[in-house]
Amino acid sequence: MPSSSAAIETRELTRRFGAFTAVDGVSFTVGQGELFGLLGPNGAGKTTLIRMLTTLIRPSSGQAFVAGHDVVHAARRVRESIGVVPQALTSDLELTAWQNLDIYGEFYGLPRAARRKRAEHLLEMVGLRDRAGDMVATYSGGMRRRLEIARGLVHSPLVLFLDEPTIGLDPQGRRAVWDLLVQLRSESGLTISLTTHYMDEAEKLCDRIAIIDGGKIAAIGTTQELKAMVKGADRIRVEVAGDAAPAAAALRAQPYVQEITADQGAIVIAASDGAHAIPKIIERLESAGAAIRSVSIERVSLEDVFISFTGRHLREEPGGPAAPIRDPLFAAAQRRG
Amino acid sequence: MKKSWAIMRRDLIKLSKTPALIVTSIVMPVLFLLIFGNSLEGQLKHLPLVIVNQDHGPYALRVMEKMQALAAGPRTINIAYMDNPGRAIEQVRNGRYKAALIIPPDFSRDITVGRIAELGLFADNIDSISSTALQALIAQATAALRGGFVTAREPKLNQIVLRPTNLFVTVDYDRSLIPGVIVMALFMGSMTSGVFNWIMDRFSGVTEAYLVTPLSPWNIAGGILASSVVATTLEAIVVLIAGLALTGGGLTGGPAAIAMLCGVIVLTGTGLLAMMFAMYSRASNPRLIGGPAGFLNVILFFPSGAIYPVESLPPWLRAFTRWNPETHAISALKSVMFKGANFAAISSDIAFLSIFTAIMLVLAGATLKRSL
Repeated sequence: MPSSSAAIETRELTRRFGAFTAVDGVSFTVGQGELFGLLGPNGAGKTTLIRMLTTLIRPSSGQAFVAGHDVVHAARRVRESIGVVPQALTSDLELTAWQNLDIYGEFYGLPRAARRKRAEHLLEMVGLRDRAGDMVATYSGGMRRRLEIARGLVHSPLVLFLDEPTIGLDPQGRRAVWDLLVQLRSESGLTISLTTHYMDEAEKLCDRIAIIDGGKIAAIGTTQELKAMVKGADRIRVEVAGDAAPAAAALRAQPYVQEITADQGAIVIAASDGAHAIPKIIERLESAGAAIRSVSIERVSLEDVFISFTGRHLREEPGGPAAPIRDPLFAAAQRRG
Repeated sequence: MKKSWAIMRRDLIKLSKTPALIVTSIVMPVLFLLIFGNSLEGQLKHLPLVIVNQDHGPYALRVMEKMQALAAGPRTINIAYMDNPGRAIEQVRNGRYKAALIIPPDFSRDITVGRIAELGLFADNIDSISSTALQALIAQATAALRGGFVTAREPKLNQIVLRPTNLFVTVDYDRSLIPGVIVMALFMGSMTSGVFNWIMDRFSGVTEAYLVTPLSPWNIAGGILASSVVATTLEAIVVLIAGLALTGGGLTGGPAAIAMLCGVIVLTGTGLLAMMFAMYSRASNPRLIGGPAGFLNVILFFPSGAIYPVESLPPWLRAFTRWNPETHAISALKSVMFKGANFAAISSDIAFLSIFTAIMLVLAGATLKRSL
């Protein structure tokens, strides 16, 4: 049984493709109304994880519950409860935005009047009301993405999954999608699971982030919690008059100093909590007789956190074998099998 | 030039990754040659002719010998014998024989006494190629009868007259092609919709987007099949109307005929669409449909009786026509459009098409299940 307050819950969720393990014993919980980010490079296993949560493929082992329903044993209930905005743009180009939403509404068995009302509301919300009667083929990438978000919401789902929703969009288009997601959260209290490999996107939008790498969750928490997990990630640079070596020696044994280097009149200190360490550093240096010329701090970024947990940059491809690209229909058989 | 070379290299590499396409591109033209070459061979053979000899006199026997010589030598005709002229004509109407040659009781006596002796030829003129050929053949045979036999009394053999009777309203050749064009439209529709849409949806990720909704793969396949049946039916009906308008003339038979035509069109369209699903639903790339299906179109169309009598095809191809759904579709359409046939007359074709469609739906289901 899932936790009563969880919108998404996984327990040791694993998916293997032959000898390759794409998702390896992943466990996490997403609360209702939370905007949860899955951050990872290509091939990290996040798409496989989302495919399991959206019932496209069956787990090899472990359990997952979405909106309180088991993704294996109550797949249909899960599909009725979720909206999915896939990475590929899949709205029908030859149809209008209106027709796209109307047909999707029919998939969920919505009556005609309800479909019309819902489509009007969603098109207004995503800013496509004026273009609702135009063929989607005439839309920009950003407009299509907004339409697909509207399409994922047509049946008022409890959980919305977005897989790389801003990939390929220009900065303006990205901003529009972000604004839309923020608006959605504040207005509807919808639970959103967002897959991305954009740091700024995850940092700006998500309440909590799971860093996934090599099929495992490397770290999970709020942005602040994740940053705090990185020891000595804040870099404090102190310029002193004269030789920096004695000043560095005065600080080396202090508990708030993780690492220290001295170089031509400047010392660089790695500290876990730089903001609180600065006054202590200044006090210590002054008592040691050093003349401080300037102090600056470089805060840890999510990129640093990511590198710290995974040992590489987000855009780097993984070293291991790529997760096999599965035909969705094979996957469908597995989940229905 | 170097840039074009790069594009050429790219395309050849891509082609090498699709061995199925290469194999079909080689095998299909060979099949095309065999079937097309044998379908329009030029010389008519094995035209089914029923002879009703009511005379049994010497001249009737001479006529029979001539006909048997044609059947044994060039094998232009296949002869069957009947006693009842009414039944023989009925069998021609039903399409079993291309013509009925009636030798009346007084044939030999008329020749002997110098009166004009008549032979009756009741032909299925909807197959104008066969009926014209048979008429010419029998006229030639009776002409030979005049020249090659001299008796003591020198009967007036030049008095033999062949009285041809068309059993149906005369249909121009271009008009007789309409059923074939309708079936061609159905096949083209089964190529450009149906399984093509299915593969395109899979290829572009649309299917995956659908599968996270309450839709099942069967819902998707069923919806695509149904929309394709509607589309191909409408296309075929437009082709029918355009064909009738272009060749001048309406459709006899009233609502019953229209209903039967629509029924045959729907049944054939569904069967062909299901056949394409059975063959191609596992294809990963839409490109795999175009070429092979084009050849398949030729392979099914030419030995179907749409433009050339199937009776004249070589035995192996004739055997194939019996299992060719397009043969039965064209036969049924021709019977309703040009012969004023009722449901009973086309029931065997309908039965075949129904069984074919049912089998193809089952096979399509099995293939889809394997691909799901």
